[in-house]
Amino acid sequence: MTAPLARQSGIGALMVAIIIVLPLIIDSSFALTVMSQIGVAIIFALAFNMLLGQGGMLSFGHAVYFGLAGFATAHVLNGMHSGGFPYIPVTVIPLVGGIAGLFFGILIGFVSTRRAGTAFAMISLGFAELATGLTLILVFFFGGEEGVQTDRWVREEWFGITYGQDIQVYYLIAAWCVLAGIAMFALTRTPFGRMSNAVRDNPERVQFIGYSTHRVRWLAFMLSSFFAGLAGALHAVRVEHVGFETVGLGQSAVILIMVYIGGTGHFAGPILGAILITLLNAYLSDISHAWFLYLGLIFVIIVMFAPGGLAGLIMMHDPIRRAGTRLLATLVPSYGAALGASLVALIGVIGLIEMVYFLSTGVTVETTTTLYGIAIDTVDFWPWLVCAALGAAGGYGCKLTYPRMAESYSNAIHEARARMAR
Amino acid sequence: MTAAVEFRDVRKSFGPTEVIRGVDLTIDAGEIHAVIGPNGAGKSTLFNLATGRYHVSRGRIALNGEDITNRAPHNIYRKGLSRSFQVTNIFARMSVFENVRCGVLWNLGYRYKFWQFVNRRRDLTERTEEILEQTGLTTRRGVPAGLLSYSDQRALEIAITIAGGAGVVLLDEPTSGMSRAETEQAVALIRKISETRTMVIVEHDMGVVFDLADRISVLVYGQVIATGAPEEIRANASVQEAYLGTEAS
Repeated sequence: MTAPLARQSGIGALMVAIIIVLPLIIDSSFALTVMSQIGVAIIFALAFNMLLGQGGMLSFGHAVYFGLAGFATAHVLNGMHSGGFPYIPVTVIPLVGGIAGLFFGILIGFVSTRRAGTAFAMISLGFAELATGLTLILVFFFGGEEGVQTDRWVREEWFGITYGQDIQVYYLIAAWCVLAGIAMFALTRTPFGRMSNAVRDNPERVQFIGYSTHRVRWLAFMLSSFFAGLAGALHAVRVEHVGFETVGLGQSAVILIMVYIGGTGHFAGPILGAILITLLNAYLSDISHAWFLYLGLIFVIIVMFAPGGLAGLIMMHDPIRRAGTRLLATLVPSYGAALGASLVALIGVIGLIEMVYFLSTGVTVETTTTLYGIAIDTVDFWPWLVCAALGAAGGYGCKLTYPRMAESYSNAIHEARARMAR
Repeated sequence: MTAAVEFRDVRKSFGPTEVIRGVDLTIDAGEIHAVIGPNGAGKSTLFNLATGRYHVSRGRIALNGEDITNRAPHNIYRKGLSRSFQVTNIFARMSVFENVRCGVLWNLGYRYKFWQFVNRRRDLTERTEEILEQTGLTTRRGVPAGLLSYSDQRALEIAITIAGGAGVVLLDEPTSGMSRAETEQAVALIRKISETRTMVIVEHDMGVVFDLADRISVLVYGQVIATGAPEEIRANASVQEAYLGTEAS
């Protein structure tokens, strides 16, 4: 029993070390911003997965708690500046956001968790719309379309920290991310956490072993809203501005997509999703205007072919890895071939999409652009031909290599199971 | 002595059809009481009414003298009435051990606690292991419940039902779909766990019923037509006509 615990703490320690050292190695303010964003996204994603993955509740409006907590935090900060609110160290201000999230979670959760499944999803959508509507009505609180501006530099705190520098904010987010991550992981091991899974798997049976499914769901909703609020507060501190879009459907959709792509069935799934999607968003949105289209494509592909998400894909290889790295190595050739074919197809398809996008959104009559660093003219025939050919060839390659990949996986997993049984 | 479970003129209608038509039934504390009857007589419905799964249309149900009519299922369970299901109703993705532990949690007072670790609580682990031992599932403890053999799933169904230590246990066709050998095992298990509990079982296998039951009630078209010791039921003319006779022919 101690071995997995030791391994988990080992992995945990390694991750903490990486979190501390990373900004010291990568000396770029943009990278620092992205890493801070990732920290916030991880907390929010893990909180969301307490509902979706752990509790079986699909919410289309979880940004409500993230956003409202952000507004509350901004107002508390502004209140501290004007003297209207007693001083709280900014270091612990995420708790203010957490409490705000918890408050709304208690209130709204009581209503929405009375239902499960589709009804729950619809109610969450309703509250998301309601919150978005309120941001434009209650201008004194939400600041209308401009949102609420704030300043995180209140006064000097412990060790001279003022949060004037981004690196200090990064470490603030990192510390809370680690704390919240540990807390949420611990929650899965408690009576509440186990019953949350039980309600997800078989809500009917739960009632006949003494539990109210409403209570279990409500509690999950409250705790999830608390952590979502924590993330919202850190977002407010990081950006020093909270806009109406933070409570909106777009924000809720992004977190859902993140968590789903990362994988809902494993605790680390949302972390993977938060890192990957935030990174792609930061670096791809500059390169390509079609970024949201790609995000949608990735999401659809995951939903259709890998419903367990990235974590699911990794975990399905765990038995093979445990049976021996040699067995894992047998997968490399077929996986490599499939990957190669996919890449060729992707290059072709992305090329076509980019050219179409360039033509349709071009404000000038300009027809020359660069694709993969190559200067091309979209009136020419050859770039289209090359991309189409790559796409077709890659697609055909996928058709040939994917069955082989599936076959080698199934051989390996059978072999692994047979070795386990022995 | 108050009765463990008491049905008083209980009626249940689904739309215009009355399925339970005025049932009066008393389950004595400590007995094994079998409810038999042809298909569609309303045996499972009776269980669903007693445990709060369905709403009672009219009448009264009491547990140990206390009214439990139309209470929520979890409240009825907390008062000491637990049930199993005819169609296996377990947590398929969890291990056998975790399934049983879920059944133990409430009555050991863990409720909705989110500040204690389940695997650090010795009473929880010990009680769970005890139940696994009793139901013969110890060797299967790590297996995901969905991958168990059918008869092991039935045993797990019973294990979850008795895990909380409820004083009154309703078993809905515990041996359905089992082979002869498996049935014998199940009967031995039921006899063992009935030592400290009041039990009501719905069962189709007459061998099992006459072997296990202290008393038998015959339910036909939503009414109890006879209640008595096995030999009385065997000798009862109207029962033979309504049920046993058709079974024998």
